[in-house]
Amino acid sequence: MRVSLPGRLALYASAGLLMAVCLFPFLWMVVSSVKELRELYTIPPTWVPRNPTLSNYATVLFSSNIPRYFLNSLVISLGATALSLALAIFASYGFARFSFRGKAAAQSFVLVGQLLPTAAIIVPLFVTLRWLDLVSTYLGLILVYMIITLPLSVWMLTSYFRAIPVELEEAAIIDGASRMGVLFRITLPLSLPGLVAVTIYAFVTTWNEFIFALCFATDSSVKTLPIGLAEFTTEFNTDWGAVMAASVIMTLPVALLFLSMQRLFIGGLMAGATKG
Amino acid sequence: MRRLPTGLVFALPALIVLLMLIAYPVAYTGVLSVTDPSGAYTGLKNYQDVLSSRLTPRAFVNTLWWVGGSIVFQVSLGTAAAILLNQEFPGRGVVRAVSVIPWVVPGIVAATTWAWMFHTEFGIINYMLAGPGLISEPVGWLTNPDTVMPAMIAINVWKLFPFVSIMVLAGLQSIPKDLYEAARVDGATFWDETRYITLPQVRPVLMAVTLLLVIWALNHVTTIYAITKGGPANLTLITPIQIFRLGFESFQFNQAAALSVMFFLVAMVIVALYIRFLASGGETAR
Repeated sequence: MRVSLPGRLALYASAGLLMAVCLFPFLWMVVSSVKELRELYTIPPTWVPRNPTLSNYATVLFSSNIPRYFLNSLVISLGATALSLALAIFASYGFARFSFRGKAAAQSFVLVGQLLPTAAIIVPLFVTLRWLDLVSTYLGLILVYMIITLPLSVWMLTSYFRAIPVELEEAAIIDGASRMGVLFRITLPLSLPGLVAVTIYAFVTTWNEFIFALCFATDSSVKTLPIGLAEFTTEFNTDWGAVMAASVIMTLPVALLFLSMQRLFIGGLMAGATKG
Repeated sequence: MRRLPTGLVFALPALIVLLMLIAYPVAYTGVLSVTDPSGAYTGLKNYQDVLSSRLTPRAFVNTLWWVGGSIVFQVSLGTAAAILLNQEFPGRGVVRAVSVIPWVVPGIVAATTWAWMFHTEFGIINYMLAGPGLISEPVGWLTNPDTVMPAMIAINVWKLFPFVSIMVLAGLQSIPKDLYEAARVDGATFWDETRYITLPQVRPVLMAVTLLLVIWALNHVTTIYAITKGGPANLTLITPIQIFRLGFESFQFNQAAALSVMFFLVAMVIVALYIRFLASGGETAR
């Protein structure tokens, strides 16, 4: 397509603006995290740190609760991802390959879970968890996170499994494979992109989750990173250098995961959205 | 012995977990909302208490502003960015990758970073606006009653417009090329193409995305709670935060449940109205 010169300039200008808007806060966070305290509170602000320092990172790593919260976040996110992946694989396989009474109702129930206003159920969930003695435990948060990870995971994997030709599975069954053998040796290897997308989705949403963690993890032995970061900023005298350093630390795992698998993830997400 | 259908056996574990975590709490909210802390039936007293609080209508209006403002800008900017990213130009891959960053950054990190950028004295935003003389003195973005809600909405728009562009971009890429070729033969300009081909073709995607955005905005707590906790003077208090405060700061679980029920119903009505009017309009237009 041939575009006129002014048209091309407008295109580059908007692309540049888009990049700047998306990138700037992220860059400013990194720049602020390596500034000395004195430099953070100078007017006018400096664009490039005069004496880059890692002291903010040292503060976060050696004299705050952040490392502990990082560990908690890791345990909870990995646990929730594994559990939701296991549950979603079986449920999606059941929905994609079998018909049974009440299947439509069960599927719409799962979908409604995605539309549920989560803020409306924090109170009864807290009462439920208290009754199960799971408030402020890893298991409690992992279970609660099924509400946000399972519905979309089931939805996406069901459409992935449906797209795999059923003849492949029939051939394997004629050759003597069991149902489980078919699922694990034929279906799952063929839906790898979908599995990756669901894994990333579950890990990232639980890693970033805020309101459930705020309500159900009241003890510092299970608090997650988002809560730790919020505590940092709401204290009366905010140490912005340390806050920015903690923000960088919290962003890193998610950013690495996304950048390494961006193609697979967005492909998987779109397949789920359009085939659904 | 009667055997369960195989498919149901596969789906059962997930269904049990979701029933326990969704169906039961939803039903239990109803029970909590009409009882007192000792469990005795009190009728609609909790509802009356919540409705007579000055905070409830205030939070409701704030929530409408918050959801409406977020959606309008997320959808319009997201669609514009998607159309831009669908053009062919060198370096498009890089721009596409970079434009996902706001969505990838954890919500709480976006909140803290923007709070630092909005800082009245040392914030970079005031500095950049003061440089070319757009403002004469530092603006207290997060303390001034006129700017605090727009600032919150701006953060939410920044965070989620990339999601809109990814989804719309996917829709754009599935539009058949010959539609554009036919239009160009008829002498259509870029704006004609956008108005008569692109937007009608991505309408179904936009509908689905907007519905998700409405639900997310209704549920949103992170940005506002982390930065202002609903202040100053309750100007950014939205209903989800009011529920949280009522339940977990004032420990009025029964009143919080009554508010949850009303919030739930209003949210469902909004979603139902949206699906009824907008989404069905798309079907008949085709």
